[in-house]
Amino acid sequence: MEVIWFAVFTVLLAGYFALEGFDLGVGLLLPVLGRTRANRDRMVAAVAPYVLANEVWLVAVAGTLFGVYPLLEHDVLFGLYPLVVAMLLCWVLRDAGLWFRRRLDGALWRGFWDGAIAFGSLGLSVGWGMTLYAAATGFAASPVHPVGLMLGVVVTLLFAFHGWTFLGWRLPGVFGVTRAGRVLLGTALVAALPALGVLGGAMPYLLAHSAPPATLNVLSLMVLPFAPIMLGAQVWVWRTFRPGKDAVRLLPSFF
Amino acid sequence: MDVVDLARTQFAVTGSLHFLFVVLTLGLAPLVAIMHTRWARSGRPVHEAMTRFWGQVYVINYALGIVTGLVMEFQFGLTWSGLTRYAGDVFGAPLAMETLIAFFLESTFLGLWIFGWGRLPRWAHVACIWAVTLTAYASAFFIMVANSFLQNPAGAVVGGGRMHLTDFGALLTNKALVFSFPHVIGAGLFTGGMVLVGASAWRLRRRTPEVEFFTRSLRTGVVTAAVGIFLAMGFGYAQFGGVAEGKFGSGRDPLAAVGLGFMIEIGQLLGLVVLLVMLPMISVLPRLRWTHPILIAMTPLPFVLSILGWMAREIGRQPWMIWERLTVADALSPGLTSGMVTGSLIGFAAVLGLLAVVDYVLIARVIRRGPYGLDLGATADETRAPALSY
Repeated sequence: MEVIWFAVFTVLLAGYFALEGFDLGVGLLLPVLGRTRANRDRMVAAVAPYVLANEVWLVAVAGTLFGVYPLLEHDVLFGLYPLVVAMLLCWVLRDAGLWFRRRLDGALWRGFWDGAIAFGSLGLSVGWGMTLYAAATGFAASPVHPVGLMLGVVVTLLFAFHGWTFLGWRLPGVFGVTRAGRVLLGTALVAALPALGVLGGAMPYLLAHSAPPATLNVLSLMVLPFAPIMLGAQVWVWRTFRPGKDAVRLLPSFF
Repeated sequence: MDVVDLARTQFAVTGSLHFLFVVLTLGLAPLVAIMHTRWARSGRPVHEAMTRFWGQVYVINYALGIVTGLVMEFQFGLTWSGLTRYAGDVFGAPLAMETLIAFFLESTFLGLWIFGWGRLPRWAHVACIWAVTLTAYASAFFIMVANSFLQNPAGAVVGGGRMHLTDFGALLTNKALVFSFPHVIGAGLFTGGMVLVGASAWRLRRRTPEVEFFTRSLRTGVVTAAVGIFLAMGFGYAQFGGVAEGKFGSGRDPLAAVGLGFMIEIGQLLGLVVLLVMLPMISVLPRLRWTHPILIAMTPLPFVLSILGWMAREIGRQPWMIWERLTVADALSPGLTSGMVTGSLIGFAAVLGLLAVVDYVLIARVIRRGPYGLDLGATADETRAPALSY
């Protein structure tokens, strides 16, 4: 049972990096590729239908951490208190930017929330690099360490590249690149690698610190039957919004 | 303030903000789902306009529900890891289920609903909003399971200084849960109904040309509010059987009794007005212009009642985090300092507070403009143009 829940935890965290990675990447690229309002609208509209289905993977990671690794929650969240607070605020700003940017038309309003998206995406990406560094040291070292910051830059670049690939897949040619689906799959795997590496190293520790069997059994009984529905809903999102016949119809988008 | 007070303040501020948006989500989700179903069946423009207009209000409100919820979830680990250490094996299970079974699906289906306009087959699109409603209610259920465990730690035993889960069924049939969950659902429906009433009264008062649209909306709102307040009052009183002995007695924090007292007083008065005045007058209310300012003025009251209710339930539990098992002070993260909580309290309160104000202004703006130029379900040829003509 511990192994099954370790696998679930790994899939959720790696899935978050692979999926939310391109949302954050596109957010990072907003000031770079989105020089005009129309281009920024296209970039956001490209990721918009996926964001809600992607960011929720991290909510599921936190829930699993709570239910399956209650003893570790303190080390992870409390151990990185200022960093977690900063990352939460970045996440909140990024989401607020997405939800609010098209609610009013003024240039100042749009610029402010587009800035919030880019800033939030940057903070989250760098923060993830620092978090992974801290996790790799068993939360013994401060995340504000040259190696932690370097890893932050690496994750940021990975996400930006992943986001750029996504744009090339969803909006072929619009931003100078056209990418096939399998290339996107490749960059998704690369974006998930840092998380997979750290989790692989932490595997023995996580297995030893799982919740007791009584709790895991209840969780399995209640949650695992829903796994096919969760997966099915995700697949439905990708089928519904796949590029092709209606790529030109991206505008107008709610986000 | 010491670190316990600061941490409690942080939870109260973020939790109250979260629930203000959640309670409206719970009320509007089924209403929008019903409107969308009607539109799918009839194909009438007025039903489409109602789905898109109230849907836009619903999703703008939802934005703050999400971001405040994120902060709530991580706050448990940041500030209250003593609770997880002591009872995580029990308390963590419903929270994990909330994120995995309920919110994961809710968020995925909401994305499909918002962006699936014009892409999804008609009935598949309707199914999405019903899935969002169902999972939102499942989410509320699991959160109430977790909260009720804190009120009455059923289904667990203490051993080796920690709590262990012995009977998950007892968590789900907790006497602190069985009446409080329908009470919360009643409060949600009441809030959603009163927002429909208040907003429609505003539009009708300003002599909107969409008389049919807002007459229908106002009547739907009155019926929903009546069902909601009936449930909230009935299950509210029924809860007293499950309240711990002496929870609101002397020697306890008076704020809890104050919250309870005001909630009951205002709630009863509103119940009388809704059930004995508004409901019998439902056919004439849309035309009686003098009632409209009163209806508009009543709109904030369900939100006030919701916060009073949580004050009674949560402050009433003091000084316990888990009733007679773990104190709030012991539930704090070991090593937490006042400086840490102050910093994050200022950050969360400032950012979420400002966003909440912006969100309400945006909702008010949608209502003021009426069903025109809606972003939800907009197609390329009607951008910023009137959303409907009928």
